Amino acid sequence: MAIKKVIAVVFGGRSVEHDVSVLTGLQFLEALDPAIYEGLPVYVDPLGQWWTGDALAARSLYPLEPGNEKGLIQLTLDLATPAGSGPRFLTSQRGLIGEKRGEIAFDLIVPAIHGSNGEDGTLQGLLDFAGIPYAGCRTLGAAATMNKVFAKKVARADGINVLPELVLTRPEKGKFVDPEALKASLASAFGDISYPYIVKPCNLGSSVGVGKADNIDELVAALMTAFRLDNEALIEPFVANLSEYNVAVRRGEDGLVLTSAIERPLREADLLDFKNKYLAGGTPGGPKLESGSSEGMVSLNRELNPEELSKAQTDFIRSSAGQIFDLMSLAGSVRVDFLCNSKTGELWLNEVNTVPGSFAYFLWEAATDPLSFLALTTAIIEEGFALSAGRLGATDANTGGATLFARA
Amino acid sequence: MEPTQIWHSETSGSGMPSTLWLHGWGYDNRAFARIAALFKGTGRHRLFDLPGFGKTPLLFEGASTKDYAEILIEQLGKDAGPHIFIGHSYGARIAVQLAARYPEHVKAIVLIGGAGLPRRRSLAFKAKAFFLKLLGRLARLSDQIFKTQYRSAYVSRFGSADYKDAGPLRATLVSAVTENLASQAKQVKCPALLLYGSADTDTPVEIGLRYEQLIPIARFVELKGYDHHDILTRGAYQCEALIKNFLKAIDND
Repeated sequence: MAIKKVIAVVFGGRSVEHDVSVLTGLQFLEALDPAIYEGLPVYVDPLGQWWTGDALAARSLYPLEPGNEKGLIQLTLDLATPAGSGPRFLTSQRGLIGEKRGEIAFDLIVPAIHGSNGEDGTLQGLLDFAGIPYAGCRTLGAAATMNKVFAKKVARADGINVLPELVLTRPEKGKFVDPEALKASLASAFGDISYPYIVKPCNLGSSVGVGKADNIDELVAALMTAFRLDNEALIEPFVANLSEYNVAVRRGEDGLVLTSAIERPLREADLLDFKNKYLAGGTPGGPKLESGSSEGMVSLNRELNPEELSKAQTDFIRSSAGQIFDLMSLAGSVRVDFLCNSKTGELWLNEVNTVPGSFAYFLWEAATDPLSFLALTTAIIEEGFALSAGRLGATDANTGGATLFARA
Repeated sequence: MEPTQIWHSETSGSGMPSTLWLHGWGYDNRAFARIAALFKGTGRHRLFDLPGFGKTPLLFEGASTKDYAEILIEQLGKDAGPHIFIGHSYGARIAVQLAARYPEHVKAIVLIGGAGLPRRRSLAFKAKAFFLKLLGRLARLSDQIFKTQYRSAYVSRFGSADYKDAGPLRATLVSAVTENLASQAKQVKCPALLLYGSADTDTPVEIGLRYEQLIPIARFVELKGYDHHDILTRGAYQCEALIKNFLKAIDND
């Protein structure tokens, strides 16, 4: 039997979406084909320390309390692996006689961190720099989609319907948002469109820090919440009769862009907030989390392939999702979210998640041409190997005739 | 034997191969809901409620795994297969019985955390078990002679959760936990896949390894980090991959 490739799945992270990422990472590990891959769990704790160990597989370990690291090995990623030898983690364990150093070789990293420091291109850039193969979006796509304003600008320029927006930067320390100036900005950005507005942090996914405002006071309050998480905040008009639709996109082996089943997340609250999104049907740390069947994005009640969508709407969702995937040169399993006014039927592209919760596997399993999570993980990994291998051509200075120093 | 009622089952898909799923003690067909869904598009899948569980009524008091196997074959009637039987825990006992007794109806068996072989116990454990059994008998004797209530107190103190919950199935449970399918395992003619979680304390890896020695054509795989129950949920994809691989290997032979 061939030697199995070691797939390091990196999850957790210094991100407000840390907990969801733990579920996503563990689910990915559980869906690795045991015939060809060996999973290596790599947990990034909220302090930024990296850990591995079999104990990471148990959901009951989280949140990892200090002093609870028994059985775990602390890791550092070796960024200076010489060309020709494979990527590796360096380990250090405290033994009886001082520190014991070691290394764990691996073949590819799967970033399963949601939000900042993982989904936003920073980790991808680091891995590209070190020449370490990784799965999913490359640096550019990950960074460009994480910034909601930038992503919308690109979409708008290519004719994809998006909502108008107003971008505000965090006021200097000690200062507050000026309501009068804000009113003026609102008028110039939105014209006749008045309250309610939606406020979002510019660089986060997962509905964290998103708020609805019915008047100027609520707007200022919502902005302050958003500014706690990000130095840029985005104001958009609230879509009346709101329905949301999500679809996942990936590139098939033949190079064509594929879309998954469409989902409409079900919710009771006015707005899809974080708790609603992830914890419907279970309490955090409750026994359900152990089941693996109803956790993370999966536990969210959803309508798959909703019947109310017309053919034109479905076509818009699928084609715009594919379009943005191509525009931003995305990879992996990407989820594209849309807003819809269910009365008028108008649709807007809302945001792009390059590391969606649970890698959106449930959308692929429900697709017309169903793809099991097992096959999805294999596809994501193999695409990652191919993309990383094809990134750079020769890096020898001789290649372009750019030599300045005499070479033997 | 009295005529029995049709066992309740949930069927999905059609055509060949035909896969029949037999759940573990205390579960019903829903135990396989997640894992069986991953086999969509691969023939017909029937998820049974075993007698006494889910929507299937009791068989008769003290029915053994042999009876379950016999009646299942009777129920299948003209739908003679050969079928692939996938059994979890107690369901695996029935799969072994089926494969041993009705080889013509069985194409392959997959045992997930399969029970049916006695566990190796330490001398201390055996001594403790002997003492407890004796205590139980004494309690029953005392109840019969002196009209005391010791037996129920004994059960609530020392009985397993399954034993306490078994109700009318208690005799069946007792016959199952004391049965040894070693000789049946030796008679299995079809290929068998044995999946055991490394963290399983109900049917530890040791049982799978012994099945591997007993069943002539067997493939044993230990799934790291899974226990007796979450092997069906968290471990669904691992099981899916291993089962599909195994079935492919059979078809290529």
